[in-house]
Amino acid sequence: MLKSLLQRLGQTVFVLFGISVMVFLVFFATPGADPTARIAGKNASPATIAKVRQEYGFDRPLPVQYATMMKKLFITQDLTSYANRGEKVVPEIIKAAPVTLSLATGGAVIWVVVSILMGTVAAAFRGTWVDRTLMAIGLVGVSIPVFWLGQVANLITQARYHDTWLFSWVPPLGYVPFSESPVGWFKALLISWCTLSVLFIGVYARVLRSDLVTVSGEDFMRTARAKGLSPSRVLLVHGLRTSMITFVSLFGMDFAQLIGGGALLTEVVFGLQGVGRLTYQALSSLDLPFIMASVMYSAVFVVLANALVDVVYLFLDPRVRDGR
Amino acid sequence: MRCGVPRSLRRRPVQLSGWAPLKALLPVACLPLFLGASLHAAALAPGAPDSPETGGTLRLTASSSGGTLDPQISYVHITYQMEAIVYDGLTTFAKTPGPMDRHAIPDLVEALPAPEDGGKTYVFHLRHGIRFSNGREVTPDDVAASMRRIFRANSPTAGPYYSHIVGGTECLHDAEHCTLSGGVIPDDTAWTITFHLTHPDSEFFDRLAFQHASILPADTPPHDTGNTAPLGTGPYRIASYEPNSGLVMERNPYFRQWDAEAQPAGYPDEIRYAFGLDPEAAVTAIENNQYDWMLENVPLDRQAEIGSRFSDRVRLIDQMVIYYAALNVNLPPFNDVRVRQALNYALNRKAVVIYNGGPAVSLAACQMLPTGAPGFEPGCAYTKGASPEHPAPEWKEPDLALAKKLVAESGTAGQKVVIVTPQSGGSDAIANEIRSTLTDLGYVASVRPITPVIEFSYIQNSDNNVQVGLTGWSADYPSASSFLQTLFSCATFIPHSDNSINASQFCDHKFDALMDRAAEVSLTDRKAGDALWAEASRALMAQAPAVPLDQTRRVALMSSRLHGAFDTPIYEAIFSQMKLRRAGDQP
Repeated sequence: MLKSLLQRLGQTVFVLFGISVMVFLVFFATPGADPTARIAGKNASPATIAKVRQEYGFDRPLPVQYATMMKKLFITQDLTSYANRGEKVVPEIIKAAPVTLSLATGGAVIWVVVSILMGTVAAAFRGTWVDRTLMAIGLVGVSIPVFWLGQVANLITQARYHDTWLFSWVPPLGYVPFSESPVGWFKALLISWCTLSVLFIGVYARVLRSDLVTVSGEDFMRTARAKGLSPSRVLLVHGLRTSMITFVSLFGMDFAQLIGGGALLTEVVFGLQGVGRLTYQALSSLDLPFIMASVMYSAVFVVLANALVDVVYLFLDPRVRDGR
Repeated sequence: MRCGVPRSLRRRPVQLSGWAPLKALLPVACLPLFLGASLHAAALAPGAPDSPETGGTLRLTASSSGGTLDPQISYVHITYQMEAIVYDGLTTFAKTPGPMDRHAIPDLVEALPAPEDGGKTYVFHLRHGIRFSNGREVTPDDVAASMRRIFRANSPTAGPYYSHIVGGTECLHDAEHCTLSGGVIPDDTAWTITFHLTHPDSEFFDRLAFQHASILPADTPPHDTGNTAPLGTGPYRIASYEPNSGLVMERNPYFRQWDAEAQPAGYPDEIRYAFGLDPEAAVTAIENNQYDWMLENVPLDRQAEIGSRFSDRVRLIDQMVIYYAALNVNLPPFNDVRVRQALNYALNRKAVVIYNGGPAVSLAACQMLPTGAPGFEPGCAYTKGASPEHPAPEWKEPDLALAKKLVAESGTAGQKVVIVTPQSGGSDAIANEIRSTLTDLGYVASVRPITPVIEFSYIQNSDNNVQVGLTGWSADYPSASSFLQTLFSCATFIPHSDNSINASQFCDHKFDALMDRAAEVSLTDRKAGDALWAEASRALMAQAPAVPLDQTRRVALMSSRLHGAFDTPIYEAIFSQMKLRRAGDQP
């Protein structure tokens, strides 16, 4: 147990180190990316530029700059943005995290519930028009780019039909903290949850359906049927549980990636100030400290989720648990 | 100096908010008139204008904040605009509607002093009784400390704007020990501040009016204050700031209006800025009256919609800005003046204007001084039937035949040309227009779009060997030198540097001498000086180190309750002058 934990920790550190070095080197290798001129201001005099270069340590060797940045990010946690010296990166990410968490969790609830329903019904009605219709809907969902869907959702709810009874409840774009108003929080996020979940519903319903279909030919399913269990019990208890393995591992990675800022487009389109939007802003302004912090943050979640998914496997699949 | 303005960074709008309940609170219609009057007076905040339109919350929106709030450091339009009503300088620009070429007026000082010692000494008389938002009176010591702080805090313009104050150059190189003791001399008895300059400067008052010379309390820390705004003297103070969500401004309780033009009292009781909506979403939100004003320009694809549905809520605001293509005079083929002239002759500005929204919002440019700038005289050297010696009054149509003749004479046809442009819809289209023009002239041309945040410094660095770079430039204050001297003098070309604003790498000592003379004459005779600047502008275009493209107007959308005379040159909008209609008021 301890060994595997340490192993996992070692992997995490290795992954973080690799990613951070890559981000750092790519940034400084980009022509024109030198932040000195942007920090000093347009048309600043050479003396001012030199002072900024020295103040930020851009005149020091790259390994030293890298080590300093990592120290400020992970140990002293006082790394500040290049675009705003007063803005500390770590607290900003921590402040943005609840927005992203709210968005991803709400979206996840919708896509898990709906995709399980869709996938199970499609499998139960395999080969019929119900199956084909549901899977076609799923495919449409997968094919729609989220930023387009978000803009259209905004166009409908904020512009064209904003003043009708149907959408007059939709608040202005932006986030309302749960602590401020749970109802406002729900209203502010509902449209973005639905938008975010459409893609995932499509993918997950299709994956689940195909797993259910595959598993239905397995020996243990035959045994269950032979025992005289009802078809619904066979499908829901025996089939669904086993078929959830792929579903869960996919979910673990997707959810972690969303929490880590992967819902960037949704956050930007809906004006939600989450980690994804911070990343987007950092990229548009080439603000290395923010890029670094958000990439590290995202990587941590993906690695953690990987570990968590491994644990969940144990509960879902007895074969894994018993080491068979 | 002024700032580069990639098209994608063009400004955005603001908003106001909520008023409504005052009327509802008035206990029914039968209140005697005098009681109504006294209620109004009692509700009025100190320093607020005594007007029925005073009050309410102005709601503004922008896609992102402008970073640091330190007025001596920040160099972005959003902060400049916002802090125009938080801070004052010794001088300022009029915060009332008017022509674009108005120069600085007195703000914290009684009057603009007459130059002494041949324009090298100025004695300013500070006004009495002006207070910071903590109640402390502004003293001559605060002024001297603020001037020192420009250098100590590494202000971007410390070099170009203020290093000619005696002791300034030393401060630039050793900011920690900066005293400016021989350059800025406060006198608490006479309540004056004396400035000594190393050489006369016809733009000294304008430079003191720029936000980097804001007067702050003497004990303000000598470094970037970041998210904390130093104390100011304007009608508002910044109450809270979260760079990723919003900013709140409230009334400065110690503000009393001293000059309605320099720093007028503000109408809204509170101003709230929300950060996060992209311009498309912001337009929709303003249409829905969820916000009152946005920082960004209304995106081109929405202009037809707002023009037809909300024409009474649109304002077109003139900007002192010029978009241009810098031609590298040190690299072939543009090291030949004939090729530079040929491209100027051949480029169809009509197409440029259409790409930028049509003639209502874009004006074809023929010279590097924008229309309305001091020293601007109409004239176009590069249009059909015109020449640098015999300019036409304005651009009419391209002259491809003459352009091809010039290229043939230069013998450069067939060479490769790469156009570097910021990656954004409008700029890409214009870059492609230039590409096809160059192809018509016989060159093998291609476009290289670069992310906007990098492009501005990328095209400046001579190591990147950029032949044609698209960019824009707007003025910090109205002056010809902001455009001509900054963008095209020998001093602003710094080889191998990302901060070499003279992207054309143009250096002509005769032209420099002409500009120096124009600046010198402006000191005593503004009109004669402006005439010389106009001459300089013509001389520059004869050399054609750039292709002027167009000058744009800002398209602003307002909520239905926003009104007032708030549009001004330089700041574009003065939030304190935005008035809010209450629910039920007729537009």
